[in-house]
Amino acid sequence: MSDRTENLVLVLPGLLLLALAFLVPIGQMLVLSVEGENGFTLAHFSRFLTDSYYLGVLWRTIRLSIVITAICAAIGFPFAYIMAHVGPRIRLWLVLLVILPLMTSVVVRTFGWMVLLGRSGLVPDILRDLGLAGRNFSLMHTEAAIVIGMVQVLLPFMTLSILGILTRLDPRLEEAARTMGCSFLKTIRTVVLPLALPGIVAGSLLVFTLSASSFVTPNLLGGSRIQMLATSIYRQVTQTLDWPFAAAQATILFVGVLLILIPYARLTGARNG
Amino acid sequence: MVRAIPRWLKISAVGFVILTGILLLAPLIVVVGVSLSQSQFIAFPPAGLSLRWYREVLSSDAYLSSAWISLQVAVLVTLSASLIGAMAAIGIHRRKLPGSGFLSIFFLSPLVLPTIIYAIGMLMVWSALVGPVSVLTLWIGHTVITLPYVVRTTLAVLSESDPFLEEAAQTMGANRVQRLLLVVLPQCLPGLAAGAFFAFNISFDEAVLSLFLRRPGLTTLPVQIYGQLEFSPDPSVAAVSTIMIGLTVCLIFVIDRILGLQRFSST
Repeated sequence: MSDRTENLVLVLPGLLLLALAFLVPIGQMLVLSVEGENGFTLAHFSRFLTDSYYLGVLWRTIRLSIVITAICAAIGFPFAYIMAHVGPRIRLWLVLLVILPLMTSVVVRTFGWMVLLGRSGLVPDILRDLGLAGRNFSLMHTEAAIVIGMVQVLLPFMTLSILGILTRLDPRLEEAARTMGCSFLKTIRTVVLPLALPGIVAGSLLVFTLSASSFVTPNLLGGSRIQMLATSIYRQVTQTLDWPFAAAQATILFVGVLLILIPYARLTGARNG
Repeated sequence: MVRAIPRWLKISAVGFVILTGILLLAPLIVVVGVSLSQSQFIAFPPAGLSLRWYREVLSSDAYLSSAWISLQVAVLVTLSASLIGAMAAIGIHRRKLPGSGFLSIFFLSPLVLPTIIYAIGMLMVWSALVGPVSVLTLWIGHTVITLPYVVRTTLAVLSESDPFLEEAAQTMGANRVQRLLLVVLPQCLPGLAAGAFFAFNISFDEAVLSLFLRRPGLTTLPVQIYGQLEFSPDPSVAAVSTIMIGLTVCLIFVIDRILGLQRFSST
């Protein structure tokens, strides 16, 4: 047996599994999306793209994902910067702070937000006490609830992607800028931020795709009236049982995700390779 | 002269970290709080302290049977993903196959493809070609989505290992199987173990694939919780959720022991 055969034998089970149980299902979904009663059809796509309701769902998905991504970047960058600059003991605690929510089931975390944002929840209570909201105010089933919940779910991804780049920066660059008379904030703006940009962009692309395709949190916090693309897919599959239409929507999501993942792969690939 | 970082900035940095910490931990703390409530309504802060909802959970058939399904699936997935993933990582690491760069991207691809897209495809294929979904469907589906984690952690450890050890073993007369089991496998063990725990955690917590691939009698624990949340949540949901959080804490502790959490800041 040659080395090559041995390696092939090692890789083969994984290749077979991914080919049969990963590529085939995705292919099947793509095929179903263009399948009509008399063969090939684009009817499911034209139905989606001409119905103002579904265009609204698509637009909400894009809009909320942009808002969520922007908030995650705005919190994630300073947080990752602080993580990269504190001592090892505090850093371990901060890593734990990021990992614990990341590894907890999304269902559990969303439940926490349902309690916090509901009518008798802590957040509306505080807003009422501050006189910012009326008596029956509830944040549940609003776009704001989706944004709050999703930011908490996706912030760890953003933080870890930026942290990965920040820990690899040469600390002497910052020191040099400071000894040359740069103020702290100017150093951040002119040295750290440009160098961390690939991490911020990669994290943003990742967070955007995850929020555009996530479904548990929007479904539970947004309710049935505020639909996003993924919740709409789930509804077609489980309630109206219109699988070809669901497949068409999933295909639209798939194409969108691919368009975003190509620059993402470039960015992270350049970093690792 | 270097100007010091302004005092107000340091203070606001501390405040910022605390607020972000609250944002990240708030839902978990609330869930734990609600689970200890005495009242039958979901409220935070909880009204009174009791463990009655934990007793409720432990005597509920619905929760216990779904926990049993989740546990079965998670254990099976851990075994299959570790075995297949470790083999693939070793094969990719040696870089002797044509297109090994493509291979590693291919093996990591389930990581970036949204689970909902995979879930809907899996549901369609399975019902078209095989029939009703079963534990086997969940086993295969979860293995696919956890495989990249095992491959990645194992590759990370292998890339730091000494490439000459295997050569040395070869010159000393070890055959292929001996080299693989006695030299390479021990080298990738920390990464493999961490990947295995990730696989267990992800499979046990996974909700999207399990929601699409459910039928009566085949609900995993997260799906059971999801169903309760959609219809009639009471504090017993919080008790189950708290148990799941506790399990996650244990797994993180184990992963930290094996691999070190510091690694997360450099991957």
